[in-house]
Amino acid sequence: MPASGADSLKPSAFIPVCTAACLLVGSTSMFFVFTCPWLAVTICPAVPPCCAVLFLFVLANFTMATFMDAGVLPVAGEDEDKEDEFRAPLYKNVDVKGVQVRMKWCASCHFYRPPRCSHCSVCDHCVEDFDHHCPWVNNCIGRRNYRYFFLFLSSLTVHMIAVFTFGLVYVLHHVDDLWKLHCLITLVVISISGLFLIPVLGLTGFHLYLVSRGRTTNEQVTGKFQGGINPFSRGCCSNMEYLVCSPISPNYTSRTCKKTVILVQPPFLRPEVDRQMPVKIRDNGIQSLAIQNKQSSAGAVELSDIKQLKNPPPLPPKPDRGLLKSQVAVLDDLGHHTKSIIPVSIPTVPQLRPVLEAISRGSSPIPPEQLLKTSEQQGINKGSDLCSNTRGSPARGSHQASVPVSTPLQPSTVSSSLQLNSLTLNSRFLTLKHSSRNGSKSQLLSMNPEGLGSNSSPGIITTPSLLTNQCSSGNSKPSYNNLVRPSDPQFMVQRGAPPVSYHTHFMGLGTDGAVQRPPPHSYSPVFMGVARQSPQPRESTSRDPSPSLPGFLQRDSSPAYHGLITRDLQSQSIATRDIPPPCLVKRDLTSQGLQDNLRDLYPHDVSLPMSAAARYDNFSKTIMASIQERREQEERERMLRVSARSQVLYGPDVGIYDIPSRRSLPPDNIRPAGSRGPTPPAYGSREFLMSTGILGYGMRTSPLSSSSTSSLTRGPKTSSSPLQSSSSSLQSKGRSTSPAYCPPERHTQGPSSSTSTLPRLSSSAYPTPLYTSYATAKRSSLPFPSEGKESVTLGALK
Amino acid sequence: MATEFHNLQELRHSASLANKVFIQRDYSEGTTCRFQTKFPSELESRIELTLFEETVKTLNNFYAEAEKIGGQSYLEGCLACATAYLIFLCMETRYEKVLKKIAKYIQEQNEKIYAPRGLLITDPIERGMRVIEISIYEDRGSSGSSSGSSSVSGSTAR
Repeated sequence: MPASGADSLKPSAFIPVCTAACLLVGSTSMFFVFTCPWLAVTICPAVPPCCAVLFLFVLANFTMATFMDAGVLPVAGEDEDKEDEFRAPLYKNVDVKGVQVRMKWCASCHFYRPPRCSHCSVCDHCVEDFDHHCPWVNNCIGRRNYRYFFLFLSSLTVHMIAVFTFGLVYVLHHVDDLWKLHCLITLVVISISGLFLIPVLGLTGFHLYLVSRGRTTNEQVTGKFQGGINPFSRGCCSNMEYLVCSPISPNYTSRTCKKTVILVQPPFLRPEVDRQMPVKIRDNGIQSLAIQNKQSSAGAVELSDIKQLKNPPPLPPKPDRGLLKSQVAVLDDLGHHTKSIIPVSIPTVPQLRPVLEAISRGSSPIPPEQLLKTSEQQGINKGSDLCSNTRGSPARGSHQASVPVSTPLQPSTVSSSLQLNSLTLNSRFLTLKHSSRNGSKSQLLSMNPEGLGSNSSPGIITTPSLLTNQCSSGNSKPSYNNLVRPSDPQFMVQRGAPPVSYHTHFMGLGTDGAVQRPPPHSYSPVFMGVARQSPQPRESTSRDPSPSLPGFLQRDSSPAYHGLITRDLQSQSIATRDIPPPCLVKRDLTSQGLQDNLRDLYPHDVSLPMSAAARYDNFSKTIMASIQERREQEERERMLRVSARSQVLYGPDVGIYDIPSRRSLPPDNIRPAGSRGPTPPAYGSREFLMSTGILGYGMRTSPLSSSSTSSLTRGPKTSSSPLQSSSSSLQSKGRSTSPAYCPPERHTQGPSSSTSTLPRLSSSAYPTPLYTSYATAKRSSLPFPSEGKESVTLGALK
Repeated sequence: MATEFHNLQELRHSASLANKVFIQRDYSEGTTCRFQTKFPSELESRIELTLFEETVKTLNNFYAEAEKIGGQSYLEGCLACATAYLIFLCMETRYEKVLKKIAKYIQEQNEKIYAPRGLLITDPIERGMRVIEISIYEDRGSSGSSSGSSSVSGSTAR
């Protein structure tokens, strides 16, 4: 037994493999020494050599199964998951030969697990074509070594049958000398082989069945294809052929890298592109802004501001040119609206519709149709562009910070411009997320009310009043680099494209503070939904609202203005994300920090021009009220549906490929298509994961959270103690998704957990000893206890 | 197996990493290795569609060839079994051979097509064959200006 040395090596993990090896080698050696000589003489001289060859084959396969890398996927680098970090849904759907397969986000490895891939909690890595973790070889069985494992099982079965048979023949011929050494040892050997033959034979038969059906153990146990079509099966014969003859895929983790130098040296070639466009548009934007400014009534804008806008100060980091272009394009497309809001990438249009309708019913100066139209036109496309553009280095993020807003020009609009407050939500969110992560807190700033193109500053929501305020007061100071300030020339979008502002009505949190914040749990369909929707059609797995996030604090505190703070805002990254109603960036973004600013974003802004403020306050209140109502209603409905459906969670999912822990998944289809769930660190969101971890889960407030949360949560890397009932169930980090493999016997054993986890097991008795210890060991990490009680039981069982 | 690792050499006209685009896997045909040929929007201004598509399609063909089940893979399997898998100590599998070809192809593409455009392809094998990572570089000297100006400055620098 190895000493308890290396951290990753647990002595107890080696017990089964050592036992198996000892039994195998020991018994066979005894057989060869004591039984074979007689067999060679009496039966056939070819018997021992054949047995030896067979035994050698068994050993070779055993060694390969034990030491060969199963197809471990290396952890994704930082850059790859940047934009997926907090806002990405837990699942991403992909189409495999016509069947929808769900790829789950692996919190430990930071990527969406490819189909058939699963995270082994014992080994703590993702394995391709994951079958199970075999304790008897102390290794994961996956794509690369499944064939060796299967051959090991088959050859071991044959070997054990041979040993048993020949030993029996020997004993039967030496009944009189039973107490002699040879006989005794042969008796021992045949009893061992006979004892283990049954389970091994059963397991071999089980895997033979799996291979013929083209499934992995994981899929079989979790019942993925119970009633549906298995897109990975090529037919029985082809599956067999694939098993034996397929080329061995390469090892991803231990590769020697030969460094070659590639010079990437500017100047760079470019495809034919009209480079003058961006500049022109920028000018146009500025001019239009200027015009609008002039046109606006109560504008407190100074002409100097406009002039300054034309010469935006250089941005510190490099601009996102792609983003710039798209922004510019947006601006171009949208034209210049004095009063219109140009919602850029508003992903969740369906969610916005109710709001839009409400607005249209209310006294909305802005035609909802226009809003919708523009949003639909540009939002999604631009959003995706913008969003994708925001991926990138931190430098860009900080750069974005400086771009924040084209708020400045709002001043002009003052009254009417209020609407223009830039709600550059949506994909901006991703940008936001990304950029915020990089410290660009300045995104908070309100956008240009004139609906300038969306700039990189994500999610800056400004209430009309705030904008007005800013305009008039002009004392808003950017709390971060170049934060919005009406008079601050830097507000002009550095990239030249003014930020797209969202319809103010949504933002319309009255400046008087009467705006209701949505409750922590609920999310604003307008903002949150928009914000959270990624421009790319991510799967709509919605996440449950997580009330426990610290971010809620911020929301709670700033009823009037909740800027969509970039994630990076201080440590409140999550909070910012979850800002419910669109808020205007408070003018007073001083250096206190964005958080403070948010708090300060109360409606009681002093310098609001009365006319504009009053006007907006009125209808904003109405709007917000209706929005609020709707939100709450939706929330309630969702809760009900979820709780209702959580009961039927365990039904087979016909034709849908699920990741192993599917059963514990909440009914995804509860959420409206395209919705990503409530904003605040949703249970299933990675950001939630990052921020609160298990704690957040502890405060489950929604029924959904209690059920099958494990699938939603991408829990932080916490140790899974069997007794952390809810926690363990919530852990998604690989652990929960480790092969939910429980031996069939468990099915009969444990009441809740086993039943819940092994609903799919057919009645046939599978050989279990092999998996018994495995099941026991893994009990704590079983992802299935979807309900708290179950998880507790599960822990208890452990 | 050796794979190549691309390094960026810092020169006087150094470029800096601006962004990374990830070409995801195309799972529509199962778990065989294929990458999506969809042209990412970030590259629209950097490289022609045809060049990009050709690169990805060639890579897909390479991987298809590597994973083909046929005579050679069968022979390899039999041989391995017969020698108790000791053959793996001396011989390189077919997949590995194709991977070497792929690495060489990627390097050639980088040198000829992508690096001159300020892009760099990372071998997918380094990412576990999940994505093709394309790094986008910007001319450091012109950071902060529009793409137009950067190219202008680029040309003047030349």
